[in-house]
Amino acid sequence: MEHPLVLEIQKLSHWFGDNLVLHNLDLNIIRGEIVSLVGPSGCGKSTLLRAIVGTHPPCRGQVAVYALGATTPTVVVNPSRDRGIVYQQYSLFPFLTAAQNVAMGLMLDQTSLPFRFFRHMSWRNLRRRHLEEAEALLEKLKLANAIRLYPHEMSGGMCQRVAIAQALIMKPEILLLDEPFGALDEATREELQRMLLTLYQENIDARAKGEDSPYTIMIVTHELNEAIYVGDRVVALSQFWNWQEQGHLRCPGATIVLDQPVPVYHPDEERNFETFIQVRRRIRQAAFESSVLQDPREYKTFAADLASGRGEGVLR
Amino acid sequence: MIRQPISTRLTVLLGIISVVALLAGYTLLSSMQHLDNPDDTTIPTWSQLGEGLQRLIEANPRTGERWLLLDAEATATRLFLGLFCGILGAIILGLLMGCYAPIEALLVPPMSLLAKIPPTAALAVFFVLVGTDTEMYVAMIAFGVLPTLAQSVYLAVHDVPREMLYKAYTLGASQMELIWNIIVRAVFPRLIDAVRLQIGPAMVYLIAAEMILGDVGFGYRIRLQMRLLNMNVVYPYLTFLAVFGFTMDYCLRLLQRVTCPWFVRHGR
Repeated sequence: MEHPLVLEIQKLSHWFGDNLVLHNLDLNIIRGEIVSLVGPSGCGKSTLLRAIVGTHPPCRGQVAVYALGATTPTVVVNPSRDRGIVYQQYSLFPFLTAAQNVAMGLMLDQTSLPFRFFRHMSWRNLRRRHLEEAEALLEKLKLANAIRLYPHEMSGGMCQRVAIAQALIMKPEILLLDEPFGALDEATREELQRMLLTLYQENIDARAKGEDSPYTIMIVTHELNEAIYVGDRVVALSQFWNWQEQGHLRCPGATIVLDQPVPVYHPDEERNFETFIQVRRRIRQAAFESSVLQDPREYKTFAADLASGRGEGVLR
Repeated sequence: MIRQPISTRLTVLLGIISVVALLAGYTLLSSMQHLDNPDDTTIPTWSQLGEGLQRLIEANPRTGERWLLLDAEATATRLFLGLFCGILGAIILGLLMGCYAPIEALLVPPMSLLAKIPPTAALAVFFVLVGTDTEMYVAMIAFGVLPTLAQSVYLAVHDVPREMLYKAYTLGASQMELIWNIIVRAVFPRLIDAVRLQIGPAMVYLIAAEMILGDVGFGYRIRLQMRLLNMNVVYPYLTFLAVFGFTMDYCLRLLQRVTCPWFVRHGR
């Protein structure tokens, strides 16, 4: 079955002065995937995410996004509404209620400042529709009781859920989550992980009907269990690779050292920790072992796995 | 315990006690002074204060002027016009400095320098540039509050997290929308706080300038009556100034509470 691309990263390198951060990354993300990005602290996960968002374009190489149905991609040069982002902190506008936060994107996307100033009546009607749409989405994400609350009146988990709704209402080509559950307690974390799996289930259902999967997500996380549980594919970034054998005098930056499909979970399904242990071991060997520098090609088996039909969920 | 909250009832009670203590202290001081010298006018009794207040409110039999009305009109006009110009300029410059690095590099050094010049010391400059009419007071107040206020706005804009701005871009915001819909709204409560802090200095500048150059206004009247030792006129004027300042501050706090419920309820 054909797998349409959403994101295409080619030969991406990034550095800050003498500090070489990312080296020669190539990564393609398929529509409907949930890709977990893991790696040791300081390996450049956030830098890669910023390059995808467009706030810090790469020093070399490019990031390109495919719009739905498009055959040629658009190169990312600055932040735009086709890429949604949810941060660990500051994920919501503190001066807006949950519904207003979610409706913000619709307002910015569908109206202009002059329209809102000079065509007040039309704007009021449109505003009502935006808020209704936002409320419907919040209800879908089980936040009906938080619609009129300000961010400081909500728990961390509720805020992150609203932030995800805020990004999703824009129907971005790809949603980027930057350690979104890092500051949450275990129970809330699990609840939000299940929410992501519910979205993924919608992707699977859409694909089964021959439709386009609505949600493509890339999640950056420190938690390996989380990466394995919510993702259908794990990508590891690391500075621990055999760069000396490739002829470099010093580490040219982190690169992708692991790219493999992982088992897909249904939202109500219990985690299989035996599988987790195997995958975790592979990730640790590839990305976290500073004493044994691996060849990055060894664990980058995603393309071959996909070709041999090993992927699950939307990758099948 | 430090910062241990107290009940609203106790807060109100303590507030009333402080005002009553102030009035009782004054009464005691005044009566002690009048025991030594029954004709004293430096710390007038309540009845002397009543007489002074009557002189302010009633029309002067010689000129027909009502001092309080005349002075209040002149002082309030100068103060509001000066604050309006200063605040408007500060918001525009502060936002530009906070949003655009070239403007920041261009304006932050002169603003830092200008903020250190007491406007009353530069009174002669305004006198030369715009004359001695209302324009001089307006220019002086605007010059007095603008640099400090612009710096406050600039710092508040700088404190808006970058992530919030990036997020707005991903939601489709244009540059103007980012400034108007995100930055202005995020810094608005802090702007109100900064304006509240500038009302006191603005009144100080104005009263001082009126004392030196005015022929009408609160500062002028206080200086005139002070020379005649008519403290029963001076004290009511000081009270009016305090009440005026307090009312302005209260109105701004109310504005903050109404327009920024998220800020007032958050950690206040």
